[in-house]
Amino acid sequence: MKKLIVTLVLVSLFSNLIANENYQKAINQSVKALFQSKTIPEYVEVANQFERISNIEKGEWLPLYYASFAYIMISFRETENAKKDQYLDQAQKYLDQALAIDPNESELHMLQGFLYPSRINIDPMTRGMTLVSVMNKSLDKALELNPDNPRVYYLRATMTFHTPEVYGGGAAKALPMFQVADEKFRIFKPKTAISPNWGKEMNDSELKSVLELVKK
Amino acid sequence: MKTVICTLPFLLLLANLSAQVAISGRVLDQKQMPLTGANVFLQGSYDGTTADSLGNFSFKSKLKGTQIISATFIGYKPFSRKLNLDSTKTIVLNLVLEETGGQIDEVVINAGAFEASDEKKAVIMRMFDVATTPSAQGDIFGALCTLPGVQKVGEDGRVFVRGGEGYETKTFMDGMQVSSPYMSKMPDMPTRGRFSPMLFSGTLFSTGAYSAEYGQALSSIVDMKTNSIETEEKSSISIMTVGVMGSTTKCWKKASFSLSGDYVTSGLSNVINKQQVDWIKNPAGVDGTLMFRQKTGKTGLFKVFGTFNNSASGLNYLNTQSGVEQAILLNSSNVYLNNTYNGMLGEKWMIKSGLAWNWDIQKFDLDKDQVATTQRMTQAKLGFSHFLNEKTELKFGTDWVNFSYDQKIRMNGNYRLPFINNQLSAFAELEYKLTKKFVTRLGARLENSSLLNGTTLTPRLSAAYKTGNHSQVSLAFGQFYQNPGNDYLKFAPQLKPEKSGHAVMTWQYQTDLKTFRVEGYLKKYSDLVKFTNPLATNPLDYSNAGSGHAEGIDLFWRDKETFDLTDYWISYSWINARRDYKDYQMSATPTYVSEHNLSVVYKRFLEKFRTYASLTYSFASSRPYHDPNLPGFMNAKTQSYNDISLSLTYLMKIFRRQSVLHLMVNNLAGFDNVYGYNFSAKPNAAGYYESTPIKSPFVRQTILLISIMF
Repeated sequence: MKKLIVTLVLVSLFSNLIANENYQKAINQSVKALFQSKTIPEYVEVANQFERISNIEKGEWLPLYYASFAYIMISFRETENAKKDQYLDQAQKYLDQALAIDPNESELHMLQGFLYPSRINIDPMTRGMTLVSVMNKSLDKALELNPDNPRVYYLRATMTFHTPEVYGGGAAKALPMFQVADEKFRIFKPKTAISPNWGKEMNDSELKSVLELVKK
Repeated sequence: MKTVICTLPFLLLLANLSAQVAISGRVLDQKQMPLTGANVFLQGSYDGTTADSLGNFSFKSKLKGTQIISATFIGYKPFSRKLNLDSTKTIVLNLVLEETGGQIDEVVINAGAFEASDEKKAVIMRMFDVATTPSAQGDIFGALCTLPGVQKVGEDGRVFVRGGEGYETKTFMDGMQVSSPYMSKMPDMPTRGRFSPMLFSGTLFSTGAYSAEYGQALSSIVDMKTNSIETEEKSSISIMTVGVMGSTTKCWKKASFSLSGDYVTSGLSNVINKQQVDWIKNPAGVDGTLMFRQKTGKTGLFKVFGTFNNSASGLNYLNTQSGVEQAILLNSSNVYLNNTYNGMLGEKWMIKSGLAWNWDIQKFDLDKDQVATTQRMTQAKLGFSHFLNEKTELKFGTDWVNFSYDQKIRMNGNYRLPFINNQLSAFAELEYKLTKKFVTRLGARLENSSLLNGTTLTPRLSAAYKTGNHSQVSLAFGQFYQNPGNDYLKFAPQLKPEKSGHAVMTWQYQTDLKTFRVEGYLKKYSDLVKFTNPLATNPLDYSNAGSGHAEGIDLFWRDKETFDLTDYWISYSWINARRDYKDYQMSATPTYVSEHNLSVVYKRFLEKFRTYASLTYSFASSRPYHDPNLPGFMNAKTQSYNDISLSLTYLMKIFRRQSVLHLMVNNLAGFDNVYGYNFSAKPNAAGYYESTPIKSPFVRQTILLISIMF
């Protein structure tokens, strides 16, 4: 009898382990596919994978984070404004679910800040006024939770770079910001192999072009 | 341990041995169109796939027994059904998904309605547009005047809709009545709204055939939605050539409190801008507004809005009736409170309730004479929405308004003209979506007035049909009652309510950044107040014998897409309106009606100069007036009206604070507009009735404002 109980306990432990392994395997594959995606159908495919994962792993914010990220990337590639808004609504839906799981995750607040620029671009004249301040709030919160989150520094730098000089933006002003972001990326260590770890390449390429612009 | 080692490979083996089932098919919408990108999966497993460009999907699963297959897609309701995986090795099935409502291209009833909202997507205007329309000078009602269906009536400033007078447009705030939405008005001088557009997140403006929720309005309603709970603490100070303004907002987790106030004086402005009015006392006033918002539960929102105003002005006015110049002094005070609570009661019921209170006093001093008018209003409203199912919504409610009016006149003796009215109303409205493309709304409103001693029942009916992806047709009919104006009721409480009927047909094409709409309407008036002469005081001099009609076409075009960083809209209205009311000798086009009205609003962001520039051009064709020197009635016409107004908004930093420099110039080109003429009551020695033109108080007006935000 004792033996049976021990066996059952161990079997159930193992099946948990196997399930966990399944999760790791599934999300690993999907994260890999996500960063290889280029077209809208590819992103949709991978977002669907994350949605399926999130349906099972109800306590994990990461699948929802990546599903949301995929839809933000889709919105950058979509040309029709009505659809853009629809994709961003979907991204927001996943993000809200993720924030309900872990409201104190810096990366989720960073992603919220990353979502707004796409919304603003649809109708900058009317949306810019209100959304810029909400975006900054999200980024402030992300930094408060993790002062070394490199993606926040990158996003601030690129926003500055793409803001006209008359508004306090431009290459010269953005350069030191990209450099700080670069530092942060260098020291950044993701918590796990599947934790958010993107942005370095974007920062590198923009830093390069900013450096060239400033030299001129 | 040994057992485990033995068990583990066995378990793995078992899993591998289990046979796979191939599941395939197509994901389609209700029109059998493929839903590319739909997510198809077995619930509780990783097994699933994405539908391809033809809607095809196929995947394998090792699961056994009865499972649930699901499909999800943006804009569609999630689909699930049971699937038995034991019986066969291949399963082929089609999954049909149903569209969810609430999308941008869903059919909505919009006949007669213009909506400005910061919260909804498919609307025609944003509150920002209202605040930056130059001819409006920051006045909500002024901005509405750039929309089709509204007449330019420069000497009044209120909203005259489709052949209706200014009083026929009723103003609401969060569904509650605002009994004095405009500042007190001097004769022949334009007034403006009491409330800053910054206090609101949306406005519903209906130019006809509105919902049964709104009553006591013959022509039009304006329902302003106050800001929801604030999430950002902020303060600002503004210095203007016409005064100072300040505001501050404090936030808590589930509540916010805002306070704003201003002191306005046109002393300096009247020196800068050449005046066509002989001021004795330059207009000056003080305002204060507080807003408190508290979230309760998951969906409940409790709003408190309170405002007070005191203003005074004085001018020399040529009273053509008596032929003498009079000194008129006006002092007015107003307090308005508006409390509402909205929230869900469970999943299918929503409550909308409110309590409003208004106190308003106007004191006119005319040389030695004095007229003081006090108005009090109390309103209580309770309404419910019941979502019977996804296709049907039932709205109903009741509202009670207590209104008291008291005019005290000191003019060769003391007179008092008081009256009290209790208005009890109830309404019900059923909205039913027959299909995705077709929606109808059926409503009725019951009103009872204690003063007018009568009950009225009016029907409202509307429908909309989607004619294409971006276009739709709407139709609306309705009957409306409104009690006669206070100036008539105070003499003749035996009058009946005035009555109108509207029929409106609209075709609209709308994409994200472009809107085109054309609306035709027919309007019939009956029971309008008629009197023997404008100074009549005997109740028997007043009757409901008046009638009238109006018909016209309104066009609207807005485009934010074609030109970079540019937004423009064009409104054009054609109207034919005739009335036999007041002391008219016969049916004629009223003095405030111009056949053609045109507004062009152009806004552009000038990146180089960090400046937001807006320009409006307004045109109104000539208006009729009655010249006693000529034979006939309403026998003359004014010149046409032209106006070009400009505003520039420059964004900058002062003391490292976000700041705005705002310049407004009204009537930039200095057109000499004449709105009509006042004729003397008696002819002069030569037998000629002398006249004076009615003009704007200024030729050109420039206002400068600097605002600093903290």
